[in-house]
Amino acid sequence: MRRGKSTTCLPADNDRHLRNRQMLFLLVAPSAAAALLITLVPVLLLVRMSLSSVSRFGRVGDYVGLRNFTRLATDPLLPDIALRTVIWTGSVVAGTLLIALPTALVLNRRFFGHGLAQFLVLAPWAISVTSMSVVWRRVLSDEAGLLNRLAMASGLIERPIIWLGSIPASFGFEIMVAILVSVPFSTVILLAGLSSIPTDLSEAARLDGAGARARLRFVTLPLLRPFICVVLIFNVAYVTNSFPIIWILTQGGPANGTDILVTYLYKLAFTLGRLDEAAALSIVMLCVLGALTVLMLRMLERPAYA
Amino acid sequence: MARLVGLLLAWACMSFSSGAGSASAADLRFTAGEYSGFTRPFLERVARDYEALHPDIHIQIEVIPWDSYLQKLTTDISSGDQPDIAIVPTMWVSDLAADGLLEPLDPLATPEFKSKFIPAFLVPASVNGQLLGLPAAASARAMVVNTDLLQKAGVKAPKTWDDLLTAAKAISALPNAYGFGLPGKEVEVDTYFYYALWGFGGEILKNGKSGLSSPEAIRAATFYMSLINDKATEPSPTAHSREDVFKLFKEGRIGIVFTYPMLVPQLKAEAPNLRYAVLPLPVETQPITLGVTDVLTLSSSSKNQKAAWDFMQFLYDAKYRAEFDRAEGLLPVTAEGAADSYYRDNPDIAAFAAGLAYARFAPTIKGWSELSEITLRSLQTMYLGQKTPTEAMTDAARQIDDVLARR
Repeated sequence: MRRGKSTTCLPADNDRHLRNRQMLFLLVAPSAAAALLITLVPVLLLVRMSLSSVSRFGRVGDYVGLRNFTRLATDPLLPDIALRTVIWTGSVVAGTLLIALPTALVLNRRFFGHGLAQFLVLAPWAISVTSMSVVWRRVLSDEAGLLNRLAMASGLIERPIIWLGSIPASFGFEIMVAILVSVPFSTVILLAGLSSIPTDLSEAARLDGAGARARLRFVTLPLLRPFICVVLIFNVAYVTNSFPIIWILTQGGPANGTDILVTYLYKLAFTLGRLDEAAALSIVMLCVLGALTVLMLRMLERPAYA
Repeated sequence: MARLVGLLLAWACMSFSSGAGSASAADLRFTAGEYSGFTRPFLERVARDYEALHPDIHIQIEVIPWDSYLQKLTTDISSGDQPDIAIVPTMWVSDLAADGLLEPLDPLATPEFKSKFIPAFLVPASVNGQLLGLPAAASARAMVVNTDLLQKAGVKAPKTWDDLLTAAKAISALPNAYGFGLPGKEVEVDTYFYYALWGFGGEILKNGKSGLSSPEAIRAATFYMSLINDKATEPSPTAHSREDVFKLFKEGRIGIVFTYPMLVPQLKAEAPNLRYAVLPLPVETQPITLGVTDVLTLSSSSKNQKAAWDFMQFLYDAKYRAEFDRAEGLLPVTAEGAADSYYRDNPDIAAFAAGLAYARFAPTIKGWSELSEITLRSLQTMYLGQKTPTEAMTDAARQIDDVLARR
């Protein structure tokens, strides 16, 4: 690495270093303070709630140790919901990547209508997930909804279908909507990654006789790995905590059949009024997601050529 | 930098002194659920009228959609910002009272003021003999039928539950129509079951235990399942919320629904050509209906209780009450309001108002919403065909008894 610095420092240089460090500290301080205030304080309050008994309307009472956590552990609904959360996050993140990666590869080339294609792929990003979910609820749940009308007009079905009538179908549609919502953001990150790969690398590989597939596998994908990791980290966190799609389409129902941890958390807190157990559940979720993120960050830090 | 600090200090002093200067004035915060688009402008108008008479009082009105009201109130209270005055559903009162959040009103209300109200409505708002809320809104449920569909199917409006099954089946046999609208998703799934439960003689709670495993409850559940199995309801009730069912009714696709009075003005506005009739719910042994009340409560931590109480009384001015009840499609809570011939002569409201005489209320016990959620879940497993009525009901009763025993 060339840094243009000698190993010995002159006193004046040292002084500048110190001032530089102060400057750096000053620059980081506001965001660090904001982050502490915005995240740490609520988390500490949450920890307190999770170790106390909390009334329906949020009055924090006696310290109860780990009672809330043991109650969660014996909640008969929770294992299924946790498993469903894994399926939800896994399939949404995998689906997103499987769509976003080819999309980014295509959009990275110049072709006629490139601008329009890019706009169409990225535009949904500008729509809030909540409004998107409301639209999908209309599309799916109405007998005269868009999907039924399209399917009937094209002769695929004769009578309208209640798309959200069964649990597997509802959950499947929710996963699909979540993928559609996640694709634009992931595509942007991957596009940014692709544009950072120097074209001469690909050129050189081509001159050495590498075909398109080999170039993708041995040049583009390894260099894109850090960006894929970023996509994974962001999506795992976002999707696991994604509330509006499931809440608006089915409210986690029928019979908790489409609940994931975060929708159940909301029910625990505001429908069932067990704020203490909800606090405990969110602490558990925070720890699991935190661990996952650290694990993935480790992956990101590993050098690309290892 | 020094100048900036100086400026900030000066500003801080200014805002502090201006706060201290108006110490005699009172700021009141008043939250209410949104009954309709009329609620907010109406309450704003009453508040402005009151402020005109009492210039030192400022009232801030917050109208919140019912769906997010509980969450909003919980967040407000847990962050120490409980509204001074709030209209809340009666079923939250026991939970609020358990935390000591409500000011008992007996010492404030004169006997003369209390005598304004229909006595029955003061009962659900009392906990341990203490009056904690004034009746603010009352409603009862009734049955609305599409008379055209009934005629086409060649059946009469149902009077008993058996009639209901026959009529619903006959209407479902018509093309593109469903007999009975049964919501199986989101709000009030359990409420729709209580109609049948009470109708067949069952109880939600009996001697401190769940009444859902009683033979009457299982009969009621079996009855709803026979409606579903005979295709007398809309397909997949668990995919239809109450609003979805009402939408189908407005489109003329459903023959019979149970509803609150507010559906009637909606029908007039959105489906002016639909011919309907408002009737009492089916009767098996004795007439039943669900009564719902909301109450006006005073915060025990309010700094301006005197002013708040004064404004609360102002809200019961006969002129405001009559306007509010009629516009929101609610039933009167005061004796004076009930005396109005409107509630007897108007065919759209008479069946609802008649129900007040025999209406039953959801139990006012602490943690009611959890019992309601358990019932909803069990009903959904039954509607989906995952459990038989007996299994679903005994299951729900067991879980509810567990919850009750844990307290």
